Amino acid sequence: MSNQAADLLHDGVSAPHLGAEPKDWLALLKPRVVSLVVFTGAIGLVIAPGHINPLLAAIAIFCIALGAGAAGAINMWYDRDIDAIMRRTTTRPIPAGKIEASAALGYGIVLSVISVVLLAMATNLCAAAVLAFSIFYYAVIYTIWLKRRTPQNIVIGGGAGAFPAVIGWAAVTGHVALLPMLLFLIVFFWTPPHFWSLSLYASTDYEKAGVPMLPVVKGARHTRWNVFIYTLLLFPLALSPWFLGLAGRIYGATAFVLGAAFLYFAWAVLRDKQDAKGVSLSKDAPARAAFKFSILYLFLLFAAIAVDRLV
Amino acid sequence: MMAAVQKDEDYANDRMPRVEIVESHWSDEQKVEFLRRRRARNFLLLAALGGFCLIIYVIAMVKLHEYGQMW
Repeated sequence: MSNQAADLLHDGVSAPHLGAEPKDWLALLKPRVVSLVVFTGAIGLVIAPGHINPLLAAIAIFCIALGAGAAGAINMWYDRDIDAIMRRTTTRPIPAGKIEASAALGYGIVLSVISVVLLAMATNLCAAAVLAFSIFYYAVIYTIWLKRRTPQNIVIGGGAGAFPAVIGWAAVTGHVALLPMLLFLIVFFWTPPHFWSLSLYASTDYEKAGVPMLPVVKGARHTRWNVFIYTLLLFPLALSPWFLGLAGRIYGATAFVLGAAFLYFAWAVLRDKQDAKGVSLSKDAPARAAFKFSILYLFLLFAAIAVDRLV
Repeated sequence: MMAAVQKDEDYANDRMPRVEIVESHWSDEQKVEFLRRRRARNFLLLAALGGFCLIIYVIAMVKLHEYGQMW
């Protein structure tokens, strides 16, 4: 927002009267989350056997991004009450008063329908059905049903981020096979250590909003153990495409090195110096490092399987 | 002074229907800001609708060219 616009807003006129800016509508789509979705969806397209016209492939990726963004808009609509409480999310368009909640819901639903219909037209019904289910999964099963009910919310929510690779594969082949299912499971098991590492040093917001995140409900010590256990489970899972013969040596070597490095970071999180209550004495430095590495891990792992398939 | 005159002209030249869409107590700057945002939103909607039509067109052309049918 320009300084002038900000002055206008503070001049006794609330934001809804002046109306939202285009960037506010784009912010409803959670662009940063969508960027990861685009990446994994594109990898699913690249590694799938068969041919797809490049234009249709680009449209398929666009549809995956649009569907993910639409689910994000519905998520922001439902979570508007807790978004207004948490410092990290108070600037989102709905709690900031820039967009009305009902408008955001309508926006999310319309974009969901458009993304599914366009994907069906551009590729096939299988890919469109998986996209539709992934939107339903994130918006209803995760956001509305489970997020506020269980400290395992992020484990279940991880499924939503795991679908794009499956959708990308289905867009090319018209069906779902073992390899995309393994990629689904990799993202599914990657999400808990990724997100709990973050929540170890950023859980006060969730506590304030009453969201039962694991560190809030079970404490930091329990969360550190969970980070380590999920990373341990992720290690053989990430190697499985190689030892099942679905990926080559490049992927196998990359998955081994990255998995070992991720285990090292998770071990450092577990062994972090802490007081009797489990509070970190190092300002959660290992958790911060593990969170950063987890992003690199997924990026390199998926890039490796694409490179492995292309060479 | 020049900027204020320009804003007045922008507001006067707005070609949207003259309905009571702005609060009477708003300053000229606020009215101009309101109109700027509405114009930006309208262009975004226009681009979105245009993009939607373009995508449908591209899908139809590619599918008809490659497979001879849409479905």
